[in-house]
Amino acid sequence: MHERPRHWHQWLLILAAFAAVAILLVMPLALIFTEAFSQGWAMVQQNLTNPDMLGAIKLTLIVALITVPVNLLFGILLAWCVTRYEFRGRKLLSTLIDIPFAMSPVVAGLCYLVVYGAQSVVGNWFSGMGVQLMFALPGMVMVTVFVTCPYVARVLIPLMESQGQHEEEAAIILGASGWQAFWYVTLPKIRWALLYGVVLTNARAVGEFGAVSVVSGLIRGQTLTLPLLVQMWNQDYNTVGAFTAAGLLAAMALVTLLLKTILEWATQNTSQDSAEPTVTEQDTP
Amino acid sequence: MSIRVEQIQKRFGDFTALNDINLDVQEGQLVGLLGPSGSGKTTLLRIIAGLEKADQGRVLFHGQDVTDLDVRKRKVGFVFQQYALFRHLTVADNVAFGLRMLPRKERPARSAIRQRVNELLDLVQLGHLAGRYPAQLSGGQKQRVALARALALKPDVLLLDEPFGALDAKVRKELRRWLRHLHEQISVTSIFVTHDQEEAMEVSDQVVVMSQGRIEQMASPLTVYEQPASRFVFDFLGHINALKGHYDGRSWQAGNAQLRLTTEGACPDGELTLYLRPHEADLRKNPSDSANLPVKLGARSVFGGTVTLELEALGWPAAVMEVELSRDAWQALDAQPGDTLFVHPRQLQTVTCDGNLGPRVTPA
Repeated sequence: MHERPRHWHQWLLILAAFAAVAILLVMPLALIFTEAFSQGWAMVQQNLTNPDMLGAIKLTLIVALITVPVNLLFGILLAWCVTRYEFRGRKLLSTLIDIPFAMSPVVAGLCYLVVYGAQSVVGNWFSGMGVQLMFALPGMVMVTVFVTCPYVARVLIPLMESQGQHEEEAAIILGASGWQAFWYVTLPKIRWALLYGVVLTNARAVGEFGAVSVVSGLIRGQTLTLPLLVQMWNQDYNTVGAFTAAGLLAAMALVTLLLKTILEWATQNTSQDSAEPTVTEQDTP
Repeated sequence: MSIRVEQIQKRFGDFTALNDINLDVQEGQLVGLLGPSGSGKTTLLRIIAGLEKADQGRVLFHGQDVTDLDVRKRKVGFVFQQYALFRHLTVADNVAFGLRMLPRKERPARSAIRQRVNELLDLVQLGHLAGRYPAQLSGGQKQRVALARALALKPDVLLLDEPFGALDAKVRKELRRWLRHLHEQISVTSIFVTHDQEEAMEVSDQVVVMSQGRIEQMASPLTVYEQPASRFVFDFLGHINALKGHYDGRSWQAGNAQLRLTTEGACPDGELTLYLRPHEADLRKNPSDSANLPVKLGARSVFGGTVTLELEALGWPAAVMEVELSRDAWQALDAQPGDTLFVHPRQLQTVTCDGNLGPRVTPA
């Protein structure tokens, strides 16, 4: 239970928290937009329609559009295995999922460069087939998938763990096939959490910088996503442009935050569904 | 449909959950699997349902081996302990679920499904709640929805896991009467799991008492109570007072307590334990030639027609005893807490040296 603050030092603590949030989080965010608009709306418009900008937006969306469904399926699969089956190495699997959380994205990018680069066996084979992995879209998608793969699984696992599988068993006993049980029972139970996972994955995929910058090769007009473009334009002293691109990313982040809050609320409500009956009428059969 | 279980074995790692279980359930019976938690009763139920696979042994429905038959094809209705209602579906949709999952060829028309659902909801007296979601129901209502859902596909066998476990005492009592009644109406062979003795005794045609993965006894409730097959069964069915003492061939003694009785159950060294059921004794203000068990009257609790008394042994080693008197007998006794009284057992159960049940004895 929360208690109401009573003493002045408790209020001071709360004030300090608000100040820290304002200085560290809100102000920089606000500054992005002031900077972007510092030379007027026309400049913003010009930056937004710049071919480099349009290319970066398109590339960012393509990467996210491939990454999200891949990790959606991957996350469901992992969560399903970890919460539904008892097998040797279950704990290990559940720990391994977290590797991308623990590892610096730059390191991940370098690893991919080593494994899939033109000098490697795999990269060489692919390039023989006419497919270039690194310094191109495939490599950028691959590292983004790597970096964002824990999100869906991490949201689903605790929820599915707490929900148990009696409902699925009930469905099976009532004649549902495995697929029907998943589609009609499991999926509706986890839908909000799943959407929440998707929102997080998407946010991370759109904003990913470190890993992507290593494998993209930073080719102008070809392999620049929005975060890379921010960096590039900033180095080019195109401050307004950089801030406009950053503003776009920040806007997406704000939308994500909003969705996240709504979905968290929805998830909580579904997981508490059966906790307490809202009716207490006399129960005479 | 009759159910037969043959030599079922089930282990979870090092733990033997079920050990050589044999069981015969006749068509149309309502059988209660009774035992403490960890006795394997739920595992047995899940094996009969096909939710769990036995390591060894067979399950037969009506003489047909269903051991390897898929859960979906066993025609089993199952009610889960926490009901496992589909939380995102209304009561009506929950009940209709099984019918909707049928392959297209066997699936009834929409209107037929609706009609069947209405019938079932009427059967469990919940027609007025068809549009509600599980979260909006009370425990007893959820329980009945779960039952209606399990009956939707007209199962040959109905299995219920602790069907009243999550309900409060009053609803529990009503609901089990109602279940008994329902079973008479639809007479589908049913097995339910419970850890509550009273529940098993009241509802079942046959009680199966289980302990540590084995069946201790299977018989009618009356037989189980009056002729328990083992010490465990005697122990488990209701409260008992265990009196430890020595037997010299004519009388049983513990400290200054004494009972005159004839029995052959004592150990070679003379040790003899006697079990006394709370309702198989009288209380008087004086000892007799055959019984001298002095006690101090402690707390009493009055509930319904009986008065339960806590008695502290005076001058002999025994745990606090419990004796039940009728309200009339209690009033006639006219005793106050702290008074010295004497227990006069009408019947005692001897426990043999190897821990089994010996003959019943009466002090004389």
